[in-house]
Amino acid sequence: MGEEMVICIGCPLGCRTKLRIDRRGEVAKVAGNKCKEGRQYVVEEYRNPVRTFTATILTEKSIRPLLPVRSNRPILKSKLKEAARTLIQKKVKPPIKMGQVILPDILNTGADVIATDDLLN
Amino acid sequence: MKYSEIDVAVIGSGPAGMAAAIKAKEEGAEHVLIFERQEQLGGLLHQCIHNGFGLLYFGQDLTGPEYAHRFAEKVRDLGIEVLLETMVTQIASDRKLTAINNRNGVIHLQPKSIILTMGCRERSRGQLAIPGTRPAGIFTAGTAQRLVNVEGFVPGKRVVILGSGDIGMIMARRLTLEGAEVKAVVEILPYVGGLTRNEVQCLHDFQIPLLLQHTVTQIHGEQRIKAVTIAKVDDEKRPIPNTEKTIECDTLLLSVGLIPENELSRMAGVELDPLTGGPMVDPFRETNVSGIFAGGNVVHVHDLVDHVSWEAEIAGASAAQFVRKGKVEKKKKILIKPGENIRYVVPQTIHTQQDVTLFARVKEMEENVQLKIGDILSQPLRVVKPGEMLRMELSQSQLTGLKEGTNELMVECRKRR
Repeated sequence: MGEEMVICIGCPLGCRTKLRIDRRGEVAKVAGNKCKEGRQYVVEEYRNPVRTFTATILTEKSIRPLLPVRSNRPILKSKLKEAARTLIQKKVKPPIKMGQVILPDILNTGADVIATDDLLN
Repeated sequence: MKYSEIDVAVIGSGPAGMAAAIKAKEEGAEHVLIFERQEQLGGLLHQCIHNGFGLLYFGQDLTGPEYAHRFAEKVRDLGIEVLLETMVTQIASDRKLTAINNRNGVIHLQPKSIILTMGCRERSRGQLAIPGTRPAGIFTAGTAQRLVNVEGFVPGKRVVILGSGDIGMIMARRLTLEGAEVKAVVEILPYVGGLTRNEVQCLHDFQIPLLLQHTVTQIHGEQRIKAVTIAKVDDEKRPIPNTEKTIECDTLLLSVGLIPENELSRMAGVELDPLTGGPMVDPFRETNVSGIFAGGNVVHVHDLVDHVSWEAEIAGASAAQFVRKGKVEKKKKILIKPGENIRYVVPQTIHTQQDVTLFARVKEMEENVQLKIGDILSQPLRVVKPGEMLRMELSQSQLTGLKEGTNELMVECRKRR
């Protein structure tokens, strides 16, 4: 049993909700939300808090020093810092097309890191 | 293309400029030319590598470069002319335009219509008047964003951010992921300046302290910034004595607001609204100067890029109509006035011939309010915040149903009782 605070981002209200968590780690009760959609969002945010990971990667033999990248699907927010550290050690060379996979299955999340811009020269 | 034959000249190629140019071309303008001072299309979008773009416009969650890419492809496919690394230096009220670049030298032309899409720039330290020394290490959040995301430099290791605008919060996350320590985000108001989404995903996700009702009262350091003094403020935003604290840092970022960039508009005799800092426009996004249109952040600072592109499309369609007919047809004019708790409304005038969308910002955060336009629209809202733009739709039938002799409408946001 425990209590978790989750802020809803569904609308400008930004409800600060309280989630009662039972012994199995499931959400037993939600309080402080002002709509049904909000309840759904905060329960999902508690169970599976995921974010799209966006960053840049160093280039070599290119006129641009960096290439912007993102994960092609959201990953757990607890893995964002480690994902960023992983990318720091890598460099890419042109030509690269937008959408091209730069790093498959980052940190075994199932998500690929893909280019979000062309790097043609 | 001969510069003497330009139908629509678009100044700037950010999310507004590209959308305006595309729309003008699609609506029949033959010779559309975009001026862009950088080396590629897209403006600020290239440094906005985070996601959250295009949720409304494309129904997809894109990053800035991806959003720019889609528009840039369309610009190319439609055969819209583009002059890169070219700076427009002058526009006159007869639409004579001067631009320069290092290939053509000085370019003179007089397009049939002009669309102003120059966007905005950041408020800087000079406009805040923070006491203290003038060391290196103080950046606007957008400058830091360009350094980190485009040029490949992280500006510091221990960072304080003044202001909780969206770019500031996004940079708090970005710098944290790049290995810097963000010591605090300091906000003078009792609530966050940007979107709740950014407060949660940029600050809370990384346990970055947010100090509301605080401000920076002193900057320390000779060559490089060494520390800032912060203090609590009262309800009048005045620092409270004996609440000062010093935070050691090597970098201070400012995320304290954006100002529409309107030097060219002023030269052309375009009337500006002191409340928005941008041109006064009608629902066609035409300014007081016939044939000169404006859209996006040059008109007023939006919080979502999707709205920037949509607004610029209105300007694009109107410019095409102006080229076709020599004018934009307008029926009865009604002035829109900001009333209680409304900072501004865009467009500043409307016409009764078609449905119209109004955008407004409130002055203060308030819960349980009634948003009203004259006596033709009244809608309850649970909360309004300065950081979140309000959108109101008026139908043509509501407008034609107005009482005879109505020539102004007041937009108000009142506390519900």
